[in-house]
Amino acid sequence: MASGVQVSDTVIEYFQQIKKGKMYRYIIFHIKDDKVIDVETTGDRDAQYDDYLNYLVNLGPEQCRYGIYDFEYDHQCQGTTDSTRKQKLFLMSWCPDTAKIKKKMLYSSSFDALKQSLEGIGKYIQATDMAEASYECVLDKMRSTDRT
Amino acid sequence: MSGGVYGGDEVGALVFDPGYSSLRAGYAGEDSPKFDIPSWVGVTENSNGNETEKKYFVDTVALHVPRKGCEVVNYMKEGMIEDWDTFEKVLDYAYEKCIKSDSQYHPVLFSEATWNARGKRERLCELIFEKYQVPAFFLVKSAVLAAFANGRSTGLVLDSGATHTSAIPVHDGYVLQHAIVKSPLGGDFLLNQANNFLKESGVDIIPSYMITDKQIVKEGDRPKWTKKNNLPEVTTSWHNYMKREVVRDFQQTMLHCSESPYEEEMVTSIPTEPYEFPSGYNSEYGLERYKITESLFDPSYIKGVGSTMLGMSHVVSTSIGLCDIDLRPSLYSGVIVTGGNSLLNGFVDRLNRDLASRTPPNMRFKLIAATGTTERRFGSWIGGSILASLGSFQQMWISKQEYDESGKSQVDRKCP
Repeated sequence: MASGVQVSDTVIEYFQQIKKGKMYRYIIFHIKDDKVIDVETTGDRDAQYDDYLNYLVNLGPEQCRYGIYDFEYDHQCQGTTDSTRKQKLFLMSWCPDTAKIKKKMLYSSSFDALKQSLEGIGKYIQATDMAEASYECVLDKMRSTDRT
Repeated sequence: MSGGVYGGDEVGALVFDPGYSSLRAGYAGEDSPKFDIPSWVGVTENSNGNETEKKYFVDTVALHVPRKGCEVVNYMKEGMIEDWDTFEKVLDYAYEKCIKSDSQYHPVLFSEATWNARGKRERLCELIFEKYQVPAFFLVKSAVLAAFANGRSTGLVLDSGATHTSAIPVHDGYVLQHAIVKSPLGGDFLLNQANNFLKESGVDIIPSYMITDKQIVKEGDRPKWTKKNNLPEVTTSWHNYMKREVVRDFQQTMLHCSESPYEEEMVTSIPTEPYEFPSGYNSEYGLERYKITESLFDPSYIKGVGSTMLGMSHVVSTSIGLCDIDLRPSLYSGVIVTGGNSLLNGFVDRLNRDLASRTPPNMRFKLIAATGTTERRFGSWIGGSILASLGSFQQMWISKQEYDESGKSQVDRKCP
C-alpha cells in the first residue's frame, strides 16, 4: 500500500553521486508539495554524524524527513588483531512522534516508494525519537548483521 | 494503468471505517469522523398478507426508542460485514441523513479488517460501484492505516476493539498475514465480566428507558424508582441491548487497569469510588474495578473458563515470535496501540510494563500510543482521511471506468 508520491530524478542522481562518487556524507530528502520526493540539502564529505542529526533536530519537532548517510565504523572479527574500516549506506525515515499526523502519514506511506527506487542501501532505519536516531542506536543496527 | 485517473482531491472523498461497535464516517481531510453510527440496528417485521415488510431503525436516537417487536441485530461479525442487507440500510442512512449529498459525487475509501475474505472485498466493491455509483473506490487494511498514522511503515499494531484484540505485524506498509494473532479478550468481554460481577453482587440493572422517576437513596439501599407507564412489549434482544448500555457506562467510567500484576493488598489501599446507576442505586467500588480488568492481562483471572486465551502482552509476543527473526527488533521497537478498548484507564501503562519485561534483552522496546482520545479511538479513520486527501493518492483509486472495464476483481489487483 502506498501513497502514490513519486521520486524525482534528482534524487536518483544524487544517490548515484553518494554511492559511486562518494561526493557527500549525507543527503536529506523532503516531500515537495505533497507530491514528489526531492533533495533538500546535502552534507560535505567531512561532515560528522552530529551535523546530520542537528540538521534534523533544527527543523523543529513537527517536521519529517528522509535521510541517507554514508556510515563508517571500525569492525573487528573475533580472533583477529586488526580491525577493518567498514562503510555502509543507510536510509532513515525521520518521523518524530511530535509531528502532525498528516506529516507522519505522508512520510511513512511514501517511504516504500523511496526504498524501491534506491538500490544498494545497507540498512533501513525508522526513527521516531532521538533515541532511535542516536549514533549508538544506529551503530548497533549497522553491526547487527556483521559477522563477529 | 488504463486511463481514467480520477481527480480524488477535487471533490471531498468520503472515508468509512466499519467496526463491530460502530461505523465511522466523514469527509477525507478532516481531523475526526463526523458521524459515529452504531453497528447495532433495530429491525421490525410487519407482515401484511403474504408479504413481510422490514423496517430498520438506524443510529442511536431511533434505536433507543422502545418499540413493539423490534429486534436488535449487528451486521458485523469478526470484523467483517456479514449482514449485507442491514449494512446497505446503514449506508443509505449515512448518505441520506448524515452526509446529505449524492453518492455519485464522492470517491469512497473503506477500511477493512486485515483478515477480510476475498469474496467480501469484491462484494463491497460491487455494492459501492453498482448501487451507489461512486466515481472511485479504495480499500485499505485498518492496521496499515493505524501504523502510517503513527509515522511508521513497519511495526506491530495491537488493535483492541469490541469483539477481540489482535496483533498485526506490518512491514513496509504490507501486513504479514501468517503472523496475525487474535484473542477474544476485548471490550465486549470486559462488558460481560462487569455484567457478571454486578449480577453476583445483587445489582438489578434497570435500563433508563423504563424509568420515569427516581428518588435519592442511601448507599447500598434498594433503589426507589417508578416504572414508565404504557411501555410497549419490547423484545429480549432490545432489552438486553439497553441493559448492556448501562453496563457499558459502568465499564467505561469505573474500570481501571492495575499498574502492576494484581495484588489484593496493594489495591485495597486505593480509595473507593462511588457510582450511581440509572435506577438510583449507588455504591462504592474499589477492588472490583481492578480485578475485572486484570483478566485482560492475566487470563487465569477469568472465572469458569480455562485460561487458554492469550493476554494482551502475550498476543504481542506470540505474533512477533511468528515473524522472521531479522524483523523482530523493528517490531518490538514499534508496538502501536489503537482501538477503543485501549482507552481503558491505565491500559497503556500496564501494557508498557508487561511488554517491557517480555522483550528480549538485546532488543529495544517502544510502545506508541496516540495521547488524544479521538486519535486512539478513530486511529484508522484518521489515517484513511489523510490518505484519501493526499493529492498524490488520486492515481491509486479504482476509478469507475476501471471497474466497468475489468469488474470487481480490480479490488484484488489495486488494493493489496
